[in-house]
Amino acid sequence: MIVNGKTVEPTDLSGRLLDFIRDTLGLTGTKEGCGMGECGACTVLVDGEPVCSCLVLTGQVKDASITSIEGLAKQELHKAQRSVIAAHAAQCGYCTPGVVLSLAAMLAKGANLTEDQVRGVLVGNLCRCTGFGDIFEAAREAALP
Amino acid sequence: MIDLLVPKSVAELREVSGEGRLIAGGTDLLVQMRAGRHEERLIDVSSLDDGPPAVCAEDDSIEISALRPISRIVTALSGALPAVSAAAAVFASLQVRNRATIGGNLANASPAADMVPPLVVASAVATIEGPEGSRQEPVLELASGPGRNTLRVGEWISSLRVPRPAGREGFRKLGGRFGMAISIVNLAWRWSIDEDGVLFGVRLAAGAVAPTVIRCERAEQEIEGNRATEGVLRRSVAAIKADISPIDDVRATAWYRREAIGGLLEEALLAHASPEDGDGGIGGA
Repeated sequence: MIVNGKTVEPTDLSGRLLDFIRDTLGLTGTKEGCGMGECGACTVLVDGEPVCSCLVLTGQVKDASITSIEGLAKQELHKAQRSVIAAHAAQCGYCTPGVVLSLAAMLAKGANLTEDQVRGVLVGNLCRCTGFGDIFEAAREAALP
Repeated sequence: MIDLLVPKSVAELREVSGEGRLIAGGTDLLVQMRAGRHEERLIDVSSLDDGPPAVCAEDDSIEISALRPISRIVTALSGALPAVSAAAAVFASLQVRNRATIGGNLANASPAADMVPPLVVASAVATIEGPEGSRQEPVLELASGPGRNTLRVGEWISSLRVPRPAGREGFRKLGGRFGMAISIVNLAWRWSIDEDGVLFGVRLAAGAVAPTVIRCERAEQEIEGNRATEGVLRRSVAAIKADISPIDDVRATAWYRREAIGGLLEEALLAHASPEDGDGGIGGA
């Protein structure tokens, strides 16, 4: 398995990917919210596609390339991160890593998206602070033509 | 600790598939296990190197994989099955669609399963693999009750042969919100229209209104061979309310479900049953 560009060797293959990322690798930017795939706080990219890491067993993705929030920025912050900062789209911040990764996956597809499509991308990310206005603003800034 | 097997070939999977609980995308099973369901051994069916391709298009039908993520199926279909695509567009969230499979949705046999009605109206046939080899079964026969399926020990749903629509088809669901909503009711429809506006080949299937997804044959018969006149609308809406056997639950009352399924059918007929209308395939929550 490759996580954020580094090859790692998981031992507990029947455990959740979320626990491997947080507890074994110590990458605690990935959050556990509901643990049931409803909230998207644990979103990571598996081969570029956003998934809830609480609903994936490590052994199911042991040959995949995974990006957590820690691996998104390269020389500078990713466009998704810059857009979230510009729109002040974080309150408590717990949903933010998942939101940013959903936006990053959207941007990687490269399409000019409609408002409805942008909202569709974020359907799986709940903000418990209900700060959706600014989150959608960040998404628009990042994605709209 | 759970034991997880991840077979990479169909042959390997066939050897072990009867020795534990099969897991595909895991978006339902892992939630159930978190809630206390105990499994000793899980056997992954989603990592096969020689499993069926996402989509294989043929002249009259399209073979779609039951083992690959729903998002990948929809991308590969690029609109070829409008009702399937419409159901997928409002299925949970992108994160879930990137893991969840149609095979899992069928095997879990939820009465509210969103991917099932579009397959039922298409008269889709499932290819089931198992220790004894493969067999075929109509999608409508796969569920035997809420959460119960007709698969035998060690069997998994591998692919689905979906006849192409000759005319129009679509899917609508009513949910509590746009995403991540379990259907309160859902309805898929498929029909053809001749130049006089007569509807034929009418197929209707509804979810969350009976112990399993059902075909709505009384309503089909009211529409078949007729134009979508006001009288046909009225009679078919009354008929679909008689086709279903809804219950009261946390999401809605039986009364609401009867009214809502009638409304979905009426809307589909009003919008997509005259010769000059568009292609259909309208989704939305």
